[in-house]
Order: sequence, then structure tokens, then C-alpha cells
Amino acid sequence: MNEIRKEPHDSELERDIPGTLPESSLTSLSLSHISLMHMGSIANDLAIEFRDVSYTLPSGEQLLSGLNLEVQRGQTLVLLGRSGSGKTTTLKLVNRLLSPSSGEVRVNGVANGDIIRLRRSIGYVIQDVGLFPHFTVERNIGLVPTIEAWPKEQIHQRVQELLRMVGLEAQMASRYPRQLSGGQRQRVGVARALAADPAILLMDEPFGALDPLTRDELQREFLVLQQKLNKTVVFVTHDLREALRLGSRIALMEAGKLVTVLPPQDFLRSDDLWAAAYARAFGVGPASVADREVS
Amino acid sequence: MNFLHFILQNRGQVLELTLEHLWLVGVSTLLAVLVGIPLGIMIARWPRWNKPVLAGANIIQTIPSLALFGFLLPVPWLGDRVDRLAILALTLYALLPIIRNTYTGIRGVDPAVVEAGRGMGLTDRQLLFQVELPLAFSVILSGVRVAVVISVGLATIAAAIGAGGLGEFIFRGLAMVNNQLILAGAVPAAILALSADFAVSWIERRVRPQ
Amino acid sequence: MKRVCLVRSRLRAWTYALLILFAGTGLSSCSPSHADHIVIGSKNFTESLILGELIAQQIEAQTGLQVERRFYLAGTYICHQAVLAGRIDIYPEYTGTALSAILKQQPGENRAEVYQRVKDEYEKRFGLTLGPSFGFNDTFAMEIRGEDARRLKLTTISQAAVYAPQWRAGFGYEFMERPDGYQGLAAAYGLHFAAPPRVMDLGLLARALHDHQIDLAAGNTTDGLIAALDFVVLEDDRHYFPPYEAVPVIREMTLQQHPEVARALAGLEGRISDQEMQRLNYAVDGLHRDVKEVVHDFLQGKPVN
Repeated sequence: MNEIRKEPHDSELERDIPGTLPESSLTSLSLSHISLMHMGSIANDLAIEFRDVSYTLPSGEQLLSGLNLEVQRGQTLVLLGRSGSGKTTTLKLVNRLLSPSSGEVRVNGVANGDIIRLRRSIGYVIQDVGLFPHFTVERNIGLVPTIEAWPKEQIHQRVQELLRMVGLEAQMASRYPRQLSGGQRQRVGVARALAADPAILLMDEPFGALDPLTRDELQREFLVLQQKLNKTVVFVTHDLREALRLGSRIALMEAGKLVTVLPPQDFLRSDDLWAAAYARAFGVGPASVADREVS
Repeated sequence: MNFLHFILQNRGQVLELTLEHLWLVGVSTLLAVLVGIPLGIMIARWPRWNKPVLAGANIIQTIPSLALFGFLLPVPWLGDRVDRLAILALTLYALLPIIRNTYTGIRGVDPAVVEAGRGMGLTDRQLLFQVELPLAFSVILSGVRVAVVISVGLATIAAAIGAGGLGEFIFRGLAMVNNQLILAGAVPAAILALSADFAVSWIERRVRPQ
Repeated sequence: MKRVCLVRSRLRAWTYALLILFAGTGLSSCSPSHADHIVIGSKNFTESLILGELIAQQIEAQTGLQVERRFYLAGTYICHQAVLAGRIDIYPEYTGTALSAILKQQPGENRAEVYQRVKDEYEKRFGLTLGPSFGFNDTFAMEIRGEDARRLKLTTISQAAVYAPQWRAGFGYEFMERPDGYQGLAAAYGLHFAAPPRVMDLGLLARALHDHQIDLAAGNTTDGLIAALDFVVLEDDRHYFPPYEAVPVIREMTLQQHPEVARALAGLEGRISDQEMQRLNYAVDGLHRDVKEVVHDFLQGKPVN
């Protein structure tokens, strides 16, 4: 277990037992919700599987070809690659914002289930955040619980809880997105994604638009949260350092193909052409693996 | 300023004609809203209908209003009661601004917001009613404002075919070569247009998220 | 949370308010609200104005009702629409015009028959009825100079047809174009003029006839200038021209609400002969007297010119 350094906003987090959620928010989760979360786990512990997946645009351009990939439950898989490598396409195939042209994408063992139910059981965080400007922070965070018809009081409590979790003050709840800084907005975005306590989190370059200091802060907080909550995370980035820091495995993609999948330690030692190219581009050596320590 | 005295003397008739005018504008705008906003939503969702629908509304707009009134006169059910005809024509003219603004309003919603909403599992209907329409409301309303102002102007022409309204003063005044009568129709009509514009602008401002 | 609800419900409230505003203005004007007064309409030519003013003053004098005038409406269709919609209660129309332009039927021959047919159809289809005829028939008139009429002892068109080959005729554009105009007339009476008829502006016909530039003109039986310039209207002995009797068109609902209006209009029955109408027209068009004064004098029994 890595040492948790005390951060000012971590003080409340420490009260929580790592890996579980306060009782109140779990009591009324809808049954179908729970069943989707745990359905696959009985069969295997693969949260997400790509089986020979290709994606071709109507214009004929092929964005993905022959993708075979597995994501274990509780893992953070980083999709690393440059623009056009197909990493965002891959991500969107998980929550079916895109449908595969061929092959199968299984989430919790299910390939063609109800799309709406699927999306509501997956948290989605994007670079531009996409907070609803006409909703308060509270309404934004409580979006999925609201459309899942959770009782009002429970939503309210959950929102407060999440605000604490992502390090925001309670009075933020009544503010509007335009009143927040970039970093604050993304924290709200993460809180929103976690609101209904999904087992899977999809994150598409979530910290890419932030300044380096804020990015660093949020990366550290991500690691803390991940340790507590143990979600299955698919994280898209083009930043090798971020990948090394956050991922339990790094899937390197280039031109729509999966090049290699390696844990961070092995990545820098890899002989693979692309991996080496990446490492060179970032001026990163084996020593940087230590960055992924929570410190 | 004699015509002010004239208006005062004939305030009953001025009021009556103003109400007739409002009736024409009110009903036609309402119909245009009921038809135009769903059409705008439809072409925002299915862009391949975009060209035909907008082109159609555009063509209607380019037809000179008096000509359109004239075309419709011989039509059986419509020509029998000119109010129906006038209201139909005014509705058609009000469609373009409403459809177009609904379309641009919805398309103008931040794509990140739409993507986030969809990714989180909002159904198409939830996305439309809870996100897209509220965010597009201000733009849609400005389309309604344009439609109302156009309608007030066109309704004056409708008097030429007997639909009543303030235009009747104008046409009667022209036939009598009586400036007071002309102004008694023209000035209230202009005031009506300005007031409608002002009123809806005010509502737009109150409703806008910022 | 409360503030969130407030914003959302405010938006909804405004939307409803707008819709209600539109619907409200619409519905409020739905049925004409002038139950307390009578609205008289008229077309935009002198004769119609005179008749409209006549109806108005008669009702004002004979009943206690307040009367509003909406004159100078631009034509038959507009007046018809206005009275259908209840924007006006009464307006003066011609039986022949009602028959052909509104009911879209073939013109008739017999005055009484045409009147009855129009009345029945109006009551059946439009909820309108006809008041009693004012008395005169405003139809096409074949006019010749008075001196010619007396010299040749001509009173009918058939008699005049004998002299047609020696005459020049002058007609307005519309009379030349209409199928029930010159074409039909020539066929009905076997008219053959030496040269084709001269076509000119209506306003110039009277002068041309007076100045011997033409010998026969097509005008209206109630033209003001007929008496003034000593013209004679030839009798239409073959009844070629359909009757155009002047009658008030009235909303049945108005009569139900104000039965005294029927009594007032009955007082105008047959009050105006062809010659009387000519004099009234001349007083306004020729002498440029005010329509209100002319009608007032007429009702008082005073001479108008």
C-alpha cells in the first residue's frame, strides 16, 4: 500500500474506509443497476472485452482494425497514442457512442444489451467536461441519479458526498459552471461520472485542457480515489507521463491498431519501436516509473 | 398631429381594428410555433431533411404576400372565409424564422454538452427536453420575435383582401385620400410591431441563462 | 435545490405565459364584441357610399342605436367577408352582383325572381339576409343624347338599333371585355355599327357623348350626369341586362339582437327611383357636396340639387 501524503482536502477522505462507499448512497440503488454491475463478475472478471473489433467510417476510412483487448475488473487501462491513433474511437465503443463495424465489444460479458442502461452504468468524463450550463453544480452531478429516479434526499446527500470526494466545498453545489475554474469544472465532471456509482469509468483526456499544476493535482487525486473506489477505468491520453503515472497497464495504439499492452514498468524497457519512440519523444527513462507512486 | 384627435374620436373603431389585428397575428404565430418548432427539432435531429424544409420555407417567404393572398383566394375552403386564408398565409410566413432559429439554436448547443449527456445515458427525448431545448430557448424565442414582427406588418396587407385589422384604415384612407385615416392605421400598426418586439426581447433577456 | 426548481419553473411559466397571451388575444377577438352598436359598411364608389350613409342615418334616426361606419371597403369580396365575419352588420349590395360574383350563378332576368333567389341562398348558406330593395336598378344603361331621343322618338334599344349603322358607339374597357357586355348586347339586339365602337375611359364617355363625338354610350342607369347633361336611357326591352337592384345585406344575428333595425330599413323600401339616384350621385360627384349632408337632406325630403 503506498503512503498517502496528507493533503489539505484529503482530511475528510481519510474518514472513509478505502474501497467502500458510505451506506446511505448504496441503499437505494436500483436492482437492475446492481445486476448489471455484478452480472459479469460471476462469469469472469473481465469488465471489458474487445474481440476483433474494427470501426470504419461511412466514408470508408478505417479508424480501427482488428482490435483485441481485455480490461480486468478494477484495473486502470490507459489507451496511449497520438491523434488519429484510434484511442478515442476505442473508448466510445465501450459505451456505444459508436458501434463496431465488425467484431464484438463486451461489457460485463454482454455485447448487445440495452444501450441506455449500459451508458447509465458507465461513468463518462471528457476533456471539455460538458457540464450543462443551465444546471447548477448540484443538478449536474445529480443528473444520472435524477433520471434513475432516486429519492431527492438521497440525491442531495450523494452530491454532498461526491463534492467532498473530489475536493470541492459544499457551497459549490449552488454555483453554475460558468462561475467555476477549469480545474473545478473537471472535478465536477468526475463527480458527475461517479454519481450513480458505476463500476466502469471512461475518461477521454480529462485533464488535457488544464494547466500543469492543476493537472498534477487532479492526477494525484485520481490515484487516491482509484485506490478507494477500485473502479475499472479506461483512460485515454497522449501524454506518456500521465500514462505511466495512472495506468496499471498501458495499451499503445497507432493508426487504428493496438501495438502493444504493457505495465508501466515494462513499457520503458520495451524493445517495441513505437514504445521506444514514445519514450524518446517524452524524454522519459526508467526512473520516471516512480512517478506513479502516490506522493 | 390631427390624426391623434381623429384616433381619440374614433377610439372604439381603432380598438376594434387593433383587436382584429392581434387576433390575426396571435393565432397565426401560435400555429407557426406549434408547427415550426417541431419541424426545427426534426431537421436538427435528421439533417438530411435540412435542405428541403428550409428551402421550402424560404420559397414561401419570397412569394410576395399580396400574391400569396391572391393565389389562395380561389381555394375552396380557404377562400370562403378570408380570416382562415389570412391566418394560413401569415402562419406560412412566420414559419421560416421559427424553423430556422429552432434549428440553429439546437445545433448551437455545445457539442461537448450533448456528448456528455448522451454518454451518461440520457435518452433522445431527455436530451431534447432537458438539455437542448432549454439551452436553445433564447434563440428560438428570438425567431418567434422576428415572426411576430413580420406578422404584424403582413396583417396590414391582409386587409386588402378583407381580413380586417389596422390595414383596413390604411386602404380606406387611400381610397378616400384621407391622411388621417391612413395614419390612424399605420401608426398603431407600427406601435404594435415595436411593442411586440420589445415585449418578446424583454422575455428573451429574462430567460437567457447568462 | 430550491433555487434550481425556481429557475426551471420560471422558464416554464414564461413559456405558458406567452402561449396564453397569444391564445388569449386570439380568443378575445373571436366573436365580434360590438353587441352595443351597429357597424355599416360600404364599397368605395359614390353610390355605395350614399346608400351606406342612408342606412346609417336611417338607423340612427329611427332607433336609439349607435352606428359605426366602415366605408370605402375595396370591393364586393371584402364587404362579403366582412359581413360574414361579423365585422360589419349591414352593407348595400346589388342583387345581380350577389348572384354572379358571390353565389356564382347565371344572371337572371326577372327582378323579383333574382331578389328572392339571392335572399333564399344567402339565408341558407351564409346566415345573411336581404332587406327590402331601395327601389332603383343600377344596371348598364344605353345612353343617347336627349335631343336625338326626342327627334327620333326613341325609347327602347330595339328602336334605336335601326339607327345603329349611322351611329358611332363608345364603351368603357370593361363593357367591351365582359361576355355579358357589348358582345351579348350586339347579339341580343342585332346591333351593327358602321365602325367598331370607340373604347375609352369611363370618365370621358359622358363628355364624348355630349360633344357629338359618339352617339351611343354604355353607362349606368344611375349615373349622375344623365340628368345633368340631358341624356336619355334607352329601355332594355329585350331584358338583356340582368337586374342589379340595390338592397341592404344584413346579418341575421344582428336582426335577432336588434329587431328595430328591420323596422328602420323597411322605411327605406322603394324610396329611391332611378332618377332619384341619379340626382343623389350628381349632388356628390358633380356638385361636390358632402355625402352626409346630401343624405340628410334627402331623408328630410329636401331637394338635393
